[in-house]
Amino acid sequence: MKKISFWILLLLSLLLIGIPFFALILTSVSVGWQWPNLLPDSLSFRSWDYVLRGSSGTWRAIGISLLIAFIVTIVNIVLAVPAANALVRYRIKGKWLAEAILFAPIIIPPFVSVMGIHLTFLRLGLTETVLGVVLAHLSPTLPYMVRALITSYSTLSVDWEDQARMLGAGPFQRFYAVVLPHLLPGIAAGASLSILISLSQYLITFIIGSGQVVTLPVLLFPFISGGDPAVASAYSILFAGMAILALLGMDLSLKSYYRRKKSVSVNGRGAGNDEGTSFRPN
Amino acid sequence: MKNKLLLATAALTLFLSACSAQSEQEDEQGTDDLLTGDWQEIAESAEGQEVNMYMWGGNDNINRYLDDWVAPRMAEEYDVKLSRVPVNDAQDIINQLLDEKTAGKTDGSMDIIWINGENFKAAKDNGLLWDDFTGQLPNFVDYIDPEAPEVAEDFGEPVEGLQAPWGKAQFVFVHDTEKVADPPKSMEELSDWIRENPGQFTYPALPDFTGSAFIRHVLYETTGGHEQYGQPAAEIEDLEEHFQPMWDYLNDIEPYLWREGSTYPESLAKLDQLYASGEVSMTMSYDPALAASEVLKGRFPASTRTFVLDVGTLSNTHFLAIPFNSTDKAGAMVAINELMSPEAQTAKLSPENWGDLSALTFEKLSADQQQAMNDVDLGEATLPLEELENHRLPELSSDYIEIIEKGWMENVAKE
Repeated sequence: MKKISFWILLLLSLLLIGIPFFALILTSVSVGWQWPNLLPDSLSFRSWDYVLRGSSGTWRAIGISLLIAFIVTIVNIVLAVPAANALVRYRIKGKWLAEAILFAPIIIPPFVSVMGIHLTFLRLGLTETVLGVVLAHLSPTLPYMVRALITSYSTLSVDWEDQARMLGAGPFQRFYAVVLPHLLPGIAAGASLSILISLSQYLITFIIGSGQVVTLPVLLFPFISGGDPAVASAYSILFAGMAILALLGMDLSLKSYYRRKKSVSVNGRGAGNDEGTSFRPN
Repeated sequence: MKNKLLLATAALTLFLSACSAQSEQEDEQGTDDLLTGDWQEIAESAEGQEVNMYMWGGNDNINRYLDDWVAPRMAEEYDVKLSRVPVNDAQDIINQLLDEKTAGKTDGSMDIIWINGENFKAAKDNGLLWDDFTGQLPNFVDYIDPEAPEVAEDFGEPVEGLQAPWGKAQFVFVHDTEKVADPPKSMEELSDWIRENPGQFTYPALPDFTGSAFIRHVLYETTGGHEQYGQPAAEIEDLEEHFQPMWDYLNDIEPYLWREGSTYPESLAKLDQLYASGEVSMTMSYDPALAASEVLKGRFPASTRTFVLDVGTLSNTHFLAIPFNSTDKAGAMVAINELMSPEAQTAKLSPENWGDLSALTFEKLSADQQQAMNDVDLGEATLPLEELENHRLPELSSDYIEIIEKGWMENVAKE
């Protein structure tokens, strides 16, 4: 029974994920694909040749896209952890207002805010810089990170930290050994969204970066709207590959963290001297 | 704790404002020399500059022409680094420059922008362009007739040397000879053909640039020629009535269009896609050699040809301009001059590179240069240059275009 459902699931995911990809790959190498032919008559690597050749700047754009997504995610974590902590645990007057402001970017279209941000950043000299683009990317990504961490915090009782405090753990130790392990799944979820959303920004990157910060979407968008499906498909495949790679990288580092954590806590229990990690709730 | 935070914020603000203040002091000097000095000096001061050219980046042929043909020559001959910046829509450039003007940014990163028509008018009206510089370019002086209407005016707006012509475009219809053996030669014939071949024709929904151009042909032909539209739109009192035959024509053909006219392709790109995949038998283009270039790429069928109407089709010129806050104006001038050279224009004419018509006045070229241009194989799908030249109509000024685009929504799309 279990086996059958596994195969059905595999088949479904293949249909849902594999087929669109297959179509993308075919489009990227197709020449004169006339209706009603199921497959293109002939193949050409023109689009790949264009996308991957030295002067197209594709690799540099991928590097910059990943760099920006990475920094944005780090900054998001640093901002969202205290924000979620405060929103869940403190009784503050006008909390709903703080929440509304934090979540507003999800509802307000980015185009509205980015025009104002552009003028301000121009005056501050932040346009055309990676820093400016990173700051602008925070607005559409931060809400998701905060949302994910709020969920994590609301299942973490203050009792755990109190217990650690009673056993003599300082604020940093309490955070590192008690809070952080509990938050990690939330951080991972928020970081995945933050990376993906940052990677796919076109308008914000183009306006704030003024064309001087060239990410992959900046190269890709003119081809999508300009209607060269072959080149657009080739770029889209690269884009998907880049996103999958980024998520995979995050997943691997998370797994290695857990592995390390496990071995440390096992050792700690055995030796009975590692006060930090042995507080980890299991 | 709170005080420390405040202090840090204040320090950051100070630092940031210092950064922007510093950059404002540079520049200003030297731009007058560029408008009066001699070319040799300008070329020398351009050495080592990095020129950012902001242009639509959705065609790999055009991108390649700049990256692989023009840029290496600029580096080698003038020591100017030409970087192409891909843009999705020229209007984005104008909006960005407007913001920069408002914020008082004097060290902009755009050195050359590729614009025409409405975008040029918006840029000119808002003072976003630098100055009357074209007279300084040797290739402009040698090969361009500045009095020619297609150079002196851009969609009815006087150019005044603010932008240099880069190429010419002319509207053509694109058809597959296997499906349309005898293409229509007038709007009346087109209407008959559409009725006989339902579902085989459509045009891009306005405000698409090419869709809008198609409708201007309808306007010219159904309302009795283009001459009457030389004056500003506001001066024609019964404009609504004037336009009525055009709306009638478009509504008459609507039921016979692709998908019975219930929807229109949202852009020329989508219409080209319909044509490439064989769903419709005609498309259109404001670039007479684009079809040849698409055949070369293998996207359009080899039986693709182009045609113009007997009364002619619209033509316009596209231009290169230098924004007011460009930091490498000398380099930009050298680059624009090079892009206007007979060699660069001849290379641009070839569908292998791009297939864009030359901006130069043909008679001003030497015999050899003329020969070189005539030798360019435009591809079977492109009409001979002479035939194109003999079927040219002037563009309509942009105030009309706005009215037509709004009117189309109300009179054709809504019903």
